[in-house]
This record gives sequence, structure tokens and C-alpha cells, in this order.
Amino acid sequence: MTNPRTPTTVDTLFSTLHERAKELNCLYRIEEILSIYDVPLEEVFRQVIEALPPGWQYPECCQAQITYGTDVYETPDYEETPYVHCAEIRVQDAAVGRLCVSYKKPTPESDCGPFMKGEIKLIHSIAERLGHFILHQRLRGMYEQISDQRREAGGGRRSWRIALDLLRNTNPTLLLRVSRKMMNYLGWRGVPEARDLLQRFSGAGVADGLFGESNLPQTRESLDRFVQLTEETFRIASANLTDDEVFDRIQKWINEDRSRESVRALENVYAGLPEVLDSMRRVKILAPEGIELPRSLANSVRVALIRRFFTEQLEFINVAKKYVDIEDFFDLSEKIVFPPGSHGKLGGKSAGLFLAGRVLAQAARRTKAIGTVKRPKTWYVTSDGLIAFTSYNNLDDVHEQKYKDIEIVRQEYPHLVQVFKNSTFPPEIVKGLSVALDDFGDVPLIVRSSSLLEDRLGTAFAGKYKSLFLANQGDKQQRLEALLDAVAEVYASIFSPDPIQYRAERGLLDFYEEMGIMIQEVVGTRVGKYFFPAYAGVAFSRNEFRWSPRVRREDGLLRLVPGLGTRAVDRVSDDYPVLVSPGQPNLRVNVSTDEVVRYSPKRIDVIDLEENTFMTRDLSEVLREVGRDFPALTKVFSVYKDGLLQRPMGLATDWTSSEAVATFDGLISASPFMPQLEAILKTLSAAMGVPVDIEFASTGTEFYLLQCRAQSQAAEDVAMEIPANLPDEAVLFTALKHVPNGRVADITHIVYVDPDRYGDLASFADLVAVGQAVGKLNKLLPRRQFILMGPGRWGSRGDIKLGVRVTYSEINNSAMLIEVARKKGNYVPDVSFGTHFFQDLVESGIRYLPLYPDDEGVRFNQKFLDAAPNRLAEHCPECAGLADALRVIDVPEATGGRVLRVVMNADQGAAVGYFAPPEAVVRTAGAGAAAVGRGDEDPQRWRLRMAERLAYHCGTQKWEVRGVYYVEPSDGDEADPASPLRLVIHVLGGARQRKELETWLQGWSLSLAEMNYFRTGFHSDGLLDVRFLTDERVHGEKDVAARINALSNAVHELPLRPRIP
Amino acid sequence: MAVKGFNAFEMAQKQFDAVADLLELDQPTRDLLRTPLREYHFSIPVRMDDGSVRVFRGFRCQHNDARGPCKGGIRFHPQETIDTVRALSMWMTWKCSVVDIPLGGGKGGVICDPHDLSQREQERLCRGWMRVLAHDVGPLRDVPAPDVMTNPQHMLWMLDEYETIHGAKYPGFITGKPVGMGGSLGRTEATGYGVIFTLREALKELGIKIESTVAAVQGFGNVAQYAIKLYTQLGGKVIAVACWDQNDQASYTYRKKSGIKLEELLAITDRFGGIDKAKAESLDYERLPGDAWIEQDVDILLPAALENQINGETVKRIGPKVKVIVEGANGPTTPDADAVIKSRGIFVIPDFLANAGGVTCSYFEQVQCNMNFFWTKEEVLSKLDDKMTAAFKAVSELARTRKLYMRDAAYVISVSRVANACKDRGWV
Repeated sequence: MTNPRTPTTVDTLFSTLHERAKELNCLYRIEEILSIYDVPLEEVFRQVIEALPPGWQYPECCQAQITYGTDVYETPDYEETPYVHCAEIRVQDAAVGRLCVSYKKPTPESDCGPFMKGEIKLIHSIAERLGHFILHQRLRGMYEQISDQRREAGGGRRSWRIALDLLRNTNPTLLLRVSRKMMNYLGWRGVPEARDLLQRFSGAGVADGLFGESNLPQTRESLDRFVQLTEETFRIASANLTDDEVFDRIQKWINEDRSRESVRALENVYAGLPEVLDSMRRVKILAPEGIELPRSLANSVRVALIRRFFTEQLEFINVAKKYVDIEDFFDLSEKIVFPPGSHGKLGGKSAGLFLAGRVLAQAARRTKAIGTVKRPKTWYVTSDGLIAFTSYNNLDDVHEQKYKDIEIVRQEYPHLVQVFKNSTFPPEIVKGLSVALDDFGDVPLIVRSSSLLEDRLGTAFAGKYKSLFLANQGDKQQRLEALLDAVAEVYASIFSPDPIQYRAERGLLDFYEEMGIMIQEVVGTRVGKYFFPAYAGVAFSRNEFRWSPRVRREDGLLRLVPGLGTRAVDRVSDDYPVLVSPGQPNLRVNVSTDEVVRYSPKRIDVIDLEENTFMTRDLSEVLREVGRDFPALTKVFSVYKDGLLQRPMGLATDWTSSEAVATFDGLISASPFMPQLEAILKTLSAAMGVPVDIEFASTGTEFYLLQCRAQSQAAEDVAMEIPANLPDEAVLFTALKHVPNGRVADITHIVYVDPDRYGDLASFADLVAVGQAVGKLNKLLPRRQFILMGPGRWGSRGDIKLGVRVTYSEINNSAMLIEVARKKGNYVPDVSFGTHFFQDLVESGIRYLPLYPDDEGVRFNQKFLDAAPNRLAEHCPECAGLADALRVIDVPEATGGRVLRVVMNADQGAAVGYFAPPEAVVRTAGAGAAAVGRGDEDPQRWRLRMAERLAYHCGTQKWEVRGVYYVEPSDGDEADPASPLRLVIHVLGGARQRKELETWLQGWSLSLAEMNYFRTGFHSDGLLDVRFLTDERVHGEKDVAARINALSNAVHELPLRPRIP
Repeated sequence: MAVKGFNAFEMAQKQFDAVADLLELDQPTRDLLRTPLREYHFSIPVRMDDGSVRVFRGFRCQHNDARGPCKGGIRFHPQETIDTVRALSMWMTWKCSVVDIPLGGGKGGVICDPHDLSQREQERLCRGWMRVLAHDVGPLRDVPAPDVMTNPQHMLWMLDEYETIHGAKYPGFITGKPVGMGGSLGRTEATGYGVIFTLREALKELGIKIESTVAAVQGFGNVAQYAIKLYTQLGGKVIAVACWDQNDQASYTYRKKSGIKLEELLAITDRFGGIDKAKAESLDYERLPGDAWIEQDVDILLPAALENQINGETVKRIGPKVKVIVEGANGPTTPDADAVIKSRGIFVIPDFLANAGGVTCSYFEQVQCNMNFFWTKEEVLSKLDDKMTAAFKAVSELARTRKLYMRDAAYVISVSRVANACKDRGWV
């Protein structure tokens, strides 16, 4: 809508669309006529003749004629004129008739004489369809005859002979194929005569021309041999098999044959999407009762289709082929929008959802709990739509974007979005989307990305690309423009900095990213002026945020919100979703009424149909407005009164005045929803072989699956490898119980409340003061770079001695909360699992870990915690009095420059906190990947990254550079923003080349100095400090280090781009 | 469990000892009042949802019932200790006594973490607790109420189990029930109104017209809201309110020198007393730092949020005009701040007197239940006024005549009432 398209373009577009609509109507009408198979051919021809003229540009003078054999069918008063176009009707490659359309009088000249291109194409398509219909009628007739005769023959005695006779008369080629199959079959069964026969008939001449697919007339001599083959084969068959068996075989092969022909095109990997779709349509028409294929062929077609539509990824194909049938693709195939000659795919999100739908449909037959799982109506734009869009608008340069510096990507992105939104789409896509809109009507839509990278098994781009809601209100033109606008914006999101950075970090930058688009109906109902589902959310088959030791990882996790699921998918700072574990729905995160109310969702995302927009509203306001009409009201809300939350009782509740809280209590404890969700998660993760996460929405009565993919993990939540053989002094602690996944890196400070000494504090005021001091440190220490370790229960309101009394705001900058449960006599105190601010921890990504230092096999470096210098007084002079119980440890200071790293692995149930050097830059193979980095990155990391880029480009020039070495700064220089970037370059070129190289490096040096100024505010005349080595041979990093007098491990060879010869 | 360090019960005993010294109590009375009369320690086996059985540890302390049935909450807490329960039961005795309601002090608890228990398991735990104690508690012996991590639902389960065991209806056995299930009207208003009833009486005694006073309030929860309501109805003017901002994880003081309007603030306040920052500013409220409330140019300070808010540091910032501090919150003033306040001659209405409206209303609930006849809200609130006024007068008179600090006077009066009851009964 923000896109002002010129009226002329739009007018032309609409008149083209109008003609296209007429053609489509005509085609639909023909399809309708041809979909009834019981009607005799004459009647069908008559109806087709009637249906044709309205599809043409000048229907008033349009006439049509079908010739079939000797019969002729035509519109009334048909007259021969020169303004005619005809197409042959062919059955099995033989012409059986002709379809002609003509005008009675001359009409204005168009694309091909009086006709438009589309009209010519239409004549041919209809002729082709008629051919298929005739073939189908014939085959069907034959099939029915055989069945009838078999029935009449009572028990099948000899009935197969009748079938063979019939085949002989109607379709000799098929008879031959059937005979050959029978011969092979008998051979496999080990019938000796059949083997002889096989040998006799497998001579080259026979096999080549006769049993192949050719329909050429055969020579007489051969025909004799076929007759002989048939006779002999079936003689042997009748001697060795029962009549029923013979008959069943013949029937099966006839059926398979009918299908085989039609699916052949589907297997062709090189066919364009239009051809594939065409063949699918044909298959559907030819085999309306479902196709029957031999297993091997069915498998291969299935795999071919999966590959064609979704992905080449073997992991996916392996799973999908077990669940997906060829027929499943039919519905899909009718809802695809694609550019001409498309070879595109539908993308990861579409694939995941499609597969999950199939898996659940199959499993629902065995597992009742799964119930009915629907998928919203969806249209797809193929992944090459993006390429078509960019090249149509001459925006091809945009694909270079990912190799630019992330700061530049960030700067340019807003402009890029505007450019995209002001570009036009190729007409085929516009037409396709227009048809899609007609199919949807004016229900709200969501336009989602479905990129080839996104949601692949193994990598999950959780929410990295855009999804946009469209209210989809107004007239067709407005709706179409809004849709195009949204698609353009989603396209632009592929070039936004976040996904580019994410891809760079994972070495996926060079993958040629294409993006499919999914246009989905939004699940929901209209309530007042709003449109939204009763509830929606995301569910994970693995629970990485357990709030009780009784909740197991495999119990899963559900984030549930009223209205659109956007608020459950993203962490929103000002609101909370309801968290439930589907395997343990009765163990709730929040127990006291206060907690339940505090951590209940307060806002709701809806589509406002009057404002024609997506918006966030206060839940209470929406409830006041719509009252009892809120879908699934009693499942979503509880009523708060006098400190009691109660499930509402039908009519007794006045919703406009009651204080309603979205607890989902009715849904969780009084509906089959939790068992259903649990079954869905278990089924899907078992089928996919990996933990999954799903998005869903419900109208209150119907459950819709919106997305399914391998469980996404934020980078910080991945199961980490636990380093083995760490020396005792490098370990701060280990844990073997209640361990989640993830890592916390580069911790510079530890705030440690000594459990014993804290317990010894004599006055209540001192105990309170420890909590307050922690709150102060929380504001003073570097954000997310310190961890809190303390006894028992952080934030507890119970006995203050057993946990430091803090509120969430007093710990909200820490990276991790650790609760230490030290044994007291025979008793190990409970830890809280962070329950006092559990949801705050989850939403802000603060990690939690309980430690049991006295358990067997657990390491706990009390010595370090006691001996490391206590920096409390420096950070917080007024807290110095608490230094006995409260320690602040500067990790680099206490460990000689190292930092604390905590890695946790839930699969192994183990975690370790150890001292390690600060994280080095991840070296990736291509310099391109390394070119992207964070704005706030460490100065040395930035230097190394720049050096890598420089080295990469060095290799391409003709200076005979043989090696570039990066020299780490000496200890004192590490943090110095002015420290130079030291390089050693091994170069063999002559003086002129050397001069050129030096000039080039000078340019780099100045640019880097400028960049360094922007990053750090520090001026210098150049940042590079380069030394040249000109010897013939240099023997690696150590050699270089020795030559320049550096430490041997301080020199790193950098990858060069291979020189183009 | 721990032998060293802070112990809530020891602290409560020390506090008692100090008052006992003032009262010159004899040794047997001291011995009797220093420890609970009765303690119940017991195990509650609970069948869990998965079929297994877990055994929970339960307590009930009945500190003293010389003045009437014990009264006190039941806490569910994973780190419950008997010493905490003992201390809390003693404080309940003093609290009931200071407002002169005929009840003693009790407290109970279970060591458990409700976060680890399903609703059904919690129900079985509640009923299990009651099966053990059904013959040692009751409307005429010991009356429980909701407390930390227990709510009216838990109370109703317990009441139901009790009534089932005894084969009759005893709505007066438990307080804190919802209205309609034996709860009392006026409960929401009780604490906040109680605070202002005592303030009104204090101002009368100080000879200050309430209409001429200006106040600053810390907190905007239930207590503060109803306190402000009654205070402004009586003619006072609140110019500053401090509250917690959940989004910013910080507190702010909202000030309007012409006087805040309660209704307009309530309209932009969430369920937890958080005022919408932007909307407040658009209504011309100045937004100041969270601790600015204490330094306002006012006559009255009403801390009604957290403990330890008036401490050695903040006390120095109290404005020169301040004449009264009325403690709506529990323990808002630290001992070092108390010394400063005392020396500046600021009149303090101590927490356990000022906020005793809640426990008084619980008593009313019990009374109404026992006679199975329920009063209107007006009736409840007017009786509350009588009780609070009388309680205040007694304390302040003692403070005046004996030249005691108000906080000490309140303790002295409550302990002496209990001690007298024990003597009258011939226990000591």
C-alpha cells in the first residue's frame, strides 16, 4: 500500500487479468465437465462445445467444433471461416480427432491472427485434456469389463482368459508387457519351463523393440513371436498358478501400467516446475481413484517429488519418504506461484510443516491422543521467485550484500527495504498471487519466509527472517498491493544484517540463499473488530528450562499465549507467556496466586480488521470489549477474586466486570489439550529423529499446526562438549545434576556468597545487607560478564539464612545464577531452581545451575574461591564490611589473564566451569565469512579479522605474495586501542611489484586507522606495521616467529585467496 | 539447625527480654513467654500423582493462648525451620494483644516447595496436615490463616477436611476465606484504613489538623491505596507516591505538588501497584528517583512498601517539616534510623500497631463465622475504627505517661496484657 504503482500499469494489468480470468473460467468449466466419468463421450463433447465460446475474447461470434472419428460436434449454425485455429486430439500418440475454434467474422488482429497467445494455448490444452479423457474412458471401460466378467465367471475360473482376449483386441502393447511380466514372475517363482522361455525370448531383437515403450507398428514376424510368447507364458502360468492368482496379477499389472506412464515425467530431475505440475495434473486426471505403482517406482517418484519441491538434504528425504505419498503432493501442486521456467523449491518451513502434517496424519490412526491436527490453507512462492524479482528489477547487485561489512549492511538495510518495496514483480508472480488471493478471499494472511537454509534439519534460523501479518481487507486491488508489498519486505529481510551475521557465524554465507514464501491463512475467528485465535504458542519436545527436579527434559516445554502466537515465539520484555511442561502439566512454574497473576500474559496480539492492521492490545481491554465472545473463554481465563483464582463457571461470570487472568487453567487441567500436545511432540520427534519445536494456534475448537522444525537453540543453548582432562587448578566447579544445555563464556567476575560465612552472620541487618550489596554490584560490574554463586535459594522470601534475599532487579545484569547446596550434617538443602524469578530468567536468557559440591565425583574449587583476592571494597567501598561473606573475584587478575567459561551438556548431565583464555576468533575457511563481525567486538579480534581480509585480498594480486602472518600483540599492548596491527609478509616479487604492494598496504593502513578511530576514538597515521621477508623459502609460523624475534605461538599464518593463474 | 549466626527465634526472644526488663517481669512469666506453650512436629505422608509416596515435615506452634484461641498463618516453604515458626508465633501473640483482640499467637508450616507439587498433591498435603492436627486446633483453640505460599484455596481444603473429621460446620475455624465462603467484607480496605485511623488519632493528640497536613507515601499497593483514599477523604493531601516499575526494574517517585488524585492514578496502575510511567507524566506528574519520597517537604511519611527503607543513610534526608512517620509496611525502619528519629522527636506509629487492621479484620471474620451472621462493610469498618482507635490511645497514653518511645510502648502494652492474662489464670 505504500507502493504507488502507476495507474497505466495497473490498468493494463487488470485488463490482462480479466482476460486471464475468462480463460481460467473456461478451463475450470471444462475440468468440471471432464471430471464426471460416467457421462457418454457424445454428451461430453456436446458440453465442451457449449463451454468454449465464453472463454474467448469475442464470445458473441465465437464457434467451436470437435471431430472424433467420423462424428462431428459443433455449436449451432457452425460455418467454416478462415478465422480458425485447430488442435489435434491425440490418444497414445495417435490422432483420433480435432478441436477447432473460430470466429464467424473478422475481428481485430491479435497475437496470432485473431487469437491471443493465451487462447491458442487454451485450445491445445483442452485438446490434450480431451485426449486424456478419451484414453481414460477406454482404459476404464476395459478395467470394468474385466472386473464384470470376473464376477460373472463366478470364482474367477478362466476369467483371466477373457481379460487377455480383451487386451489382445484393445491394447496389444499392454498385453505384451503383461505377458513379459508374467514370464519374469514365473521365472522368479522358479518354474523351470518359464526359465527356458525366458532364455528363448530374451534375445536382443525382441527385448529392444518389443518390450520397450515404443508404440511403433511392429513387423509381422515379431508379432508372431509375441503371440507365441503370450500363449506359452500363460500356458505355463495356468499350469503353475491358481486362476485367482493369475487374474490378480494381470489386474495389478494393468493398473500399474496405467499409472506408470503418467508418473514418468515426475521422476525427471531436469524438468522445470511447470512441466512437473503439468504431469501431476495429468496423473490426477488419469488415475482419479489413486495411482498404483510398483513399490520401487513409487519410492523413486516419491523421492523425486520430495527433492523437486523441498530439498536435496538426505536426512530430510530419508524421513519424508516414509510418510509422504504421491497423492499428498496434488493439493500442494495447485497452490504454487512460480516464475516462468522455474526450478525453485518451496523452502524449509514449507517442507517441515508438510512433513509434520503427514507424520501426524499417519500416527493419528494409532495414537488417539493426537486427534485432528489441521494445517492452515497455504500458497507458496517458489524460492527462485526472489531471483526473478531481483533480476526483473535489475537488483542483482543485492546478492553481494552478504560479503559487505556488517556495519555497512546495517546502514544500507533500511534503504534496501524501500527499494524492494518500490520495485515491481514479474507479471507471472503477480498473476499467481492474484489467483491465490481469490482462493483465500478476505481472511487475514501471514506472509512468511521459507528459505532453503531456514529450518533445515540441523540449522534453525529461529525468527531470523521476517513474517508479516496482513489484515487483507479492502478491495481486490488494495489487497493485492498489500500482499505484494509484504512479499517484497520479506524478500528484503534476507539481506538484513541479523541473518547475514548469523550465517557468517555458522559458515553458511556462501550457500546460495534462495527464499520461498509461504502465504498462510491466519488461524482465528472474527470477534468484534478483531481477528485472532483463542490461543497459540510454541512447544519444544525438549525442556531446557526446568523449574523443578521432577520435570524431566523429555517432558517438553510449552509457551502459551492468548491471541496470535507472536508473543510466545519472541521473548517480549514487558510480558510473559504461560509456561507448562506437557509431560508434567500439573507441576506449574508459578504456584502462589500472586505469582500466577504476576506472570500471566497481560497483552494480546490481534489483527484489527477495521484498522486493517496487526496490533498489540491490553488483554483486559480486549476482554472488556468482546466479553463472552472471546473464543474458548473458559479455557483461557480464570477469575481472580479474594486471593483465589477460579475456573469460570459458564454463565455465572460477568466478564466485563470480573478480574480475569489468562492462566489457561481450563485448557491445561480440564481438556485433552496437554495429552494431545505431548503426543504430537513425541510423535514428531520420534519420526524426525531429533528434538523438534512446533508453532501452533487454536480457534478454541480446532488445532492447527503452523510450523515444525528441529528444535531451535539459541547459540547459547546448544549442548556443549565437556572438555576432558582439565587439571584441577583450571576447574572452578563441576556439576552432575539438573544440568541444562548451554554455555556462558568470558566471565570476568565472580560474585561469591560463601555459604558458611553467610550463615554465620549474626544480625538480620547484615544478612539483608548482603542482598543489597549484590544489588549494587549488579549495577557496577560489567553486564553479563559476572556470575553469582551463593547458598541455597537466591531471592527466597523464606528463612533469610538459607538464601540471599534479592529481587530480580538486583541480579538482572548477571550472566548466570548458581545455587550452591552444601551438605549440613546429613542434610543437603534444596535449591530453588531459580523459581523466585524463573520466568524473568528465562525471558532474559540468564542461565541457572545448581551445584552440589559434596556429591561424589563433583569438583568444587573452594581453595580458589577462598584464596583469590577479594575486590569487593574496590567496587563497592560501602559494602566493605561484608567482605567476609561476600567476595568479588576478578578472574583475569586471579588466573593470570584467563576468564571463566561454563559449558553445560544436558545429554551427558554434566557441566564444568573452568578457566580458559578469552574466546579466540572462530577461524572459518573463507575470508568472506570472517569478514563479518560484531560492532562491539574485542579490539584484538577485530585486528585479526581485518588481517584475514587483507591477506585474502593480497593473494589475488600479482605481487608474488607467498604468505601473510599475523603477529599477536605483546601482553602489554593487548587492550591498547592504539597498538598497531603487526603483519609479516613473505613476498618474492621484484622491486616494481614490491612498490605496488607497499602502496596498496599504505591504503589499507590509512583505512584501518580511520576505522579504528570510529571504533575506539583513537587517532593514528596508520595502523599497519608490516615486515617483509624476501627469502626464497620460509618454513611456516615458527620460522617466521624466530626471524622476527617473537614468541613461537604468537605468529599465525593467514589464508590467502588462491592466485588465479 | 545452624548454631551460629542469625536466628529469628533468638532475635524475638532478645526483643522480649528487653521488654520484660522494662516491665520487670518475674522469672516464671519470662520462662513461660520466652518459648511457645505447645509445639507440634509431625510427618505427613502424601501419595503423589505418580503413585509414589513422599513424606513431608509439618509444624504448628501455639505460643500463647492465655487471651484466647491462637491465631496465625500456615506457611509452605522449602526452607521452613522450627525457629522461624517459633519466632513468628510469638510475634502473633504480641500483635493480637496490641490491638486488644481476644486471641493468642500461633504459626505453622510445612517444609515443601509448592513449585514441585501439583494442585492435587497440594490438596492431599493440606488434608494430610489437617488429619494430623484436627484435634489440636479448632475455632476455640487455634485458628489458621493463609501465609507464605498458601492461599484461600489451601484454607478451604483444610477447612473441609476439618469439618469432615468433626462432622459439623465450623466456618470460624479458618480465616482468610473468600467472601461467600465465610469471608468478611472490608478485608481489602482493613489494613490501609487501619493505618489512617491510627494516624488520625495521632494528629489529634499532636494538635494538628489533618486537613492542613501533607504526606508522602512509599508504595502503591493495596495498603497504600486505601490509606491514601481515607487520608484524602479526611482532608489530607498526598503529594508524592513511590512505586516499583516492573519494566524498568526500578522504582520511581511520582510527585504532584498540588496533590495527587487517587482515582486518576488508579486508572493507570497495574494489579501490583505499578504506575504507568508515560501516562503519569502525561498527567503532569513529576517523575523523581525512587527514594525521593523520603526527602519531600511534608508533614507525614507513610512507608507502605518494603522493610528497611528508612535506614542509617536515608534517615538523614528526612525533611525538617516531618512530624509523623506511620509504618504501613512491616519493619520499614532499622534500629539505627530509629535512634535518629527518636532524637529528632518525630512521632512514630510502629508497624505492628499501625498495620494491625488486617489481623483485626481476621478476628471479625471469625466472630461473624462463629455466630453465622455477617455484617455490612460499613459495620465492619466502623468496628475496625473503634478497635484501632482504642488500641492507639492505649499505646500512646502509655508512651506519654511513661515517657516511652512509641515502639517500646506498643511492645510493653502487648506483653503486659499477655502476662496479666497468664497471671489472672493463675499460670504463673
